[in-house]
Amino acid sequence: MADVVLSNVNKVFGTFTAVDGLNLDIRQGEFVSLLGPSGCGKTTTLRMLAGLEFPSGGEIRIGDRMVNDLAPGQRDIAMVFQSYALYPHMSVGQNIAYPLKKRGVAKAERTAMVAKTAEMLQLTPLLNRKPRELSGGQQQRVALGRALVRDPKVFLLDEPLSNLDAKLRGYMRAELIELHQRLGRTMVYVTHDQLEAMTMSDRIAVMESGKLQQFAPPQVVYREPANRFVASFIGTPGMNIVDGELLQENGRWIFQSQGFSVDAPNLGPDAQSGAAAMGIRPEGLSIGTGPIEGVVQLVEQTGHENIVVARVGDGLRMTGRTNPDQPVRAGETIKLSIDANKAHFFAEGATGKRLNKAAATSDGPAKSQSALKEATS
Amino acid sequence: MARKILFNIFAWMVVLMVAFPLFWMLVTSVKPQFELFRRPPSMLPETVTFEHYWRLLSDTNFLGYFWNSVILSTATTFVVVTIATIGAYSLVRFRYRGRETLAFLVLFTYLLPSVVLILPLYLMLVELGLSNTITSLVIAYTTFALPYALWLLRSFMAGIPEDLESAALVDGATRLGAFKDVILPQLLPGIISTALFTFILSWNEYLYALVLVNSDESRPLTTGVMNMLISSFNIEWSLLMAASVMMSVPLIIVFAFLQSYLTRGFGAGGVKG
Amino acid sequence: MRHIMAKQQQTLLERRYSMLGLFLIAPTVLVFCAVIVYPLISAVYLSLFKIFTPTLEGSWVGLDNYRVLLSKGEFWTSLRANLIWTVGTLSLQIIFGVGMALVLHQNIWFRSLARSLILFPYFISTVVAVLVWKWLFNDLYGILNHLMITAGLIDWPIDYLGSMPNAMISVILVGAWKYFPFVVIAVLARLQSIPDQLYEAAKIDGAGPIARFFDITLPQLREVLVVIIMLRAIWDFKEFDLIFLLTGGGPVTSTQTLPLLVYKEAFALNQMGMASAYAVIMMLIMLGFMLVYIRRTRSEES
Repeated sequence: MADVVLSNVNKVFGTFTAVDGLNLDIRQGEFVSLLGPSGCGKTTTLRMLAGLEFPSGGEIRIGDRMVNDLAPGQRDIAMVFQSYALYPHMSVGQNIAYPLKKRGVAKAERTAMVAKTAEMLQLTPLLNRKPRELSGGQQQRVALGRALVRDPKVFLLDEPLSNLDAKLRGYMRAELIELHQRLGRTMVYVTHDQLEAMTMSDRIAVMESGKLQQFAPPQVVYREPANRFVASFIGTPGMNIVDGELLQENGRWIFQSQGFSVDAPNLGPDAQSGAAAMGIRPEGLSIGTGPIEGVVQLVEQTGHENIVVARVGDGLRMTGRTNPDQPVRAGETIKLSIDANKAHFFAEGATGKRLNKAAATSDGPAKSQSALKEATS
Repeated sequence: MARKILFNIFAWMVVLMVAFPLFWMLVTSVKPQFELFRRPPSMLPETVTFEHYWRLLSDTNFLGYFWNSVILSTATTFVVVTIATIGAYSLVRFRYRGRETLAFLVLFTYLLPSVVLILPLYLMLVELGLSNTITSLVIAYTTFALPYALWLLRSFMAGIPEDLESAALVDGATRLGAFKDVILPQLLPGIISTALFTFILSWNEYLYALVLVNSDESRPLTTGVMNMLISSFNIEWSLLMAASVMMSVPLIIVFAFLQSYLTRGFGAGGVKG
Repeated sequence: MRHIMAKQQQTLLERRYSMLGLFLIAPTVLVFCAVIVYPLISAVYLSLFKIFTPTLEGSWVGLDNYRVLLSKGEFWTSLRANLIWTVGTLSLQIIFGVGMALVLHQNIWFRSLARSLILFPYFISTVVAVLVWKWLFNDLYGILNHLMITAGLIDWPIDYLGSMPNAMISVILVGAWKYFPFVVIAVLARLQSIPDQLYEAAKIDGAGPIARFFDITLPQLREVLVVIIMLRAIWDFKEFDLIFLLTGGGPVTSTQTLPLLVYKEAFALNQMGMASAYAVIMMLIMLGFMLVYIRRTRSEES
């Protein structure tokens, strides 16, 4: 059952189109991330959901209601802001109680609900403090508490972790996942951090220039990026993308670039001869043997693996991963090979469509999620 | 170290030179009449007397003027700050056609010379039968105080994070509810600062008072005290200095207790734009 | 095309908010129209009439007032006095203001007391300032003459306000004394916001105190100084109280600036129409400056 639906939503600021024909169907209880670089329209989208920004066109539905004309307070949502937006002149307790007060919850009941929420977030000893007396992590929990206290239909979270330090961020990520599982509420989470999106989401909506690029579970976004933008945006280190040409030779597709060519075995029906691009993730590149020759420019040691950046031909940089035991040094000439089955092919342009055959993976909320989450976090 | 001491002495000499006229005002106001004309003049009074202050309060209409100034400045401040607070909220946090033009007009009038407005205002107030009343001065003072207050409050308002209001809206408040619950408490220091500035501006105003009010009943301090200078045969400097000190009393109070608000207002209105 | 269509769709909520915004700005707009816009337009209209102030009876004279005004010597001498006053007092305000701000930026003894003392002249009433200075300037018993004679700077008491060029110099000095605190506070605020790292970096690069002043302090102050100069130039140009109360424009008309001329025409010579013409011309002269300032502030905001 769909819980939050955006149909053909636009947002125009003057001459600038922030959101362009956006369609999203978010299921009840789903955790969805809006992911993209800054200025891609993700925050504007969230603010339109909240009723803080007004769509220039299209329809927004929450539950069974069209909410375009409803004030934020009538939409049964809660929002956590990047800046936390705690009311500085109110104590922690008053901050958490405020949404209840505005809904006319009686005082005694209010106190009880605040106490319960504070308990859950370990804020009880801080209830009488003012926000400025709290640490960043505590402020963040108060912001969360203010959202949780009234059990809304949908939670909207606008980069809530971006002001925390790295260690706390990892901890809060786990907390949020756990919270989502416990509450079972729909959550829409805006972030520019793909690690957050990958680890927490049921589905990720990748946005760029106001347009939706792909809306799929994390491993689909990773394994079958819809286009070149998604492919290059997701993954660290990023996918190697090489411009070149697709040719047909004896009924076989071949991708040819400066100095090397690769078989393109699994192209779909959309493939055409001509300019195209090939993408290969660092793990699809094996170092040691192969037809391609490169000069190592940089070796980054992360501990459990080494990341090798090599120059191939003139100026093309390829990134691969190696086992730390495999000795590779900067300046060395190495051989590379591309695993053709792991290669992606894209049509021309920054958001060129992926040309590979669709894989058999389903698009549903994958339960293999947890495995991936553990692997990445 | 020696350089530091020398620098301090130099700095304080300059400061004292700047402050000297005010010191002299105070000294003159407590000197007995005969000491005033002694040569060489005494830097500190040999006998301190408050007779001039008593004379000021009992023999002159000073208290009347003072009272008029209090009413005038309070009324102006109240009217102007009220209108400007909601006006600034609208200018900063709402979107509608003509908003930019209006902000431009506010800045323009903030810089407008009073003499341009004073002639038509004079005619207008005479026509309304308001000349020689305190009300006419309140109306006239809004011409400079309202743009000033709006400009100041607009700057303070812009300093309040928009997220706070958004959060209140999401939490279920209406726009006006969010204004009352969240914005107003945050704006309070700015409102105090603006109110102080408006009050001081009205307290010190001279030109409108000179042109619009010509009766002792509604004359404020500025023109009232100046009248004492002009209408007496021999100028009684001690009396005038006592009047000057008394006239500065509200200011001294503000300086002693609320100075941080003044400096804050400075930043918001004058310099940041 | 689709964008234009999209722009026209406004949600009910958005419209309601706009209405509320307009409702909240309405008092401001009403007051503005009544006490500023209407008088401003009438000022221009009045300047086309010949009006006798006591009876307020007028007759249409078209642009005659302007023709007379521009050919009269008094306008030009007043404009000249106005410019001398503005440039003179503004330069002193800036020089003393920046100097004092640099001094107060150092860690001197009782800094906040010093700051209060410096700030005070700006906030006292011009009436108070003028009374005090008139007393200081008093030819017989004034402390200023006494001190100058004692110090051997002069042999005979000076007439500070009754002769030229003394009167203009005195007015400029009192103006500088009254208004330089504005510059001090504005510059001081800016100085305090210059990051210490800049000075540390310069020290590491081997810059002495003087080089640091010219290479770091001054460029950092440039922006705020431009704003201060424009703002103070506008305010000094239209100053009325201080000059009117100190000299009344005298001796004769040597310190009579344009605002004083407007006042004199309207209420001493009873020529309301002529006075309006002077006021309009004065505003036109200021308009250039005002527009530059406004444009600057607006571009800064966006």
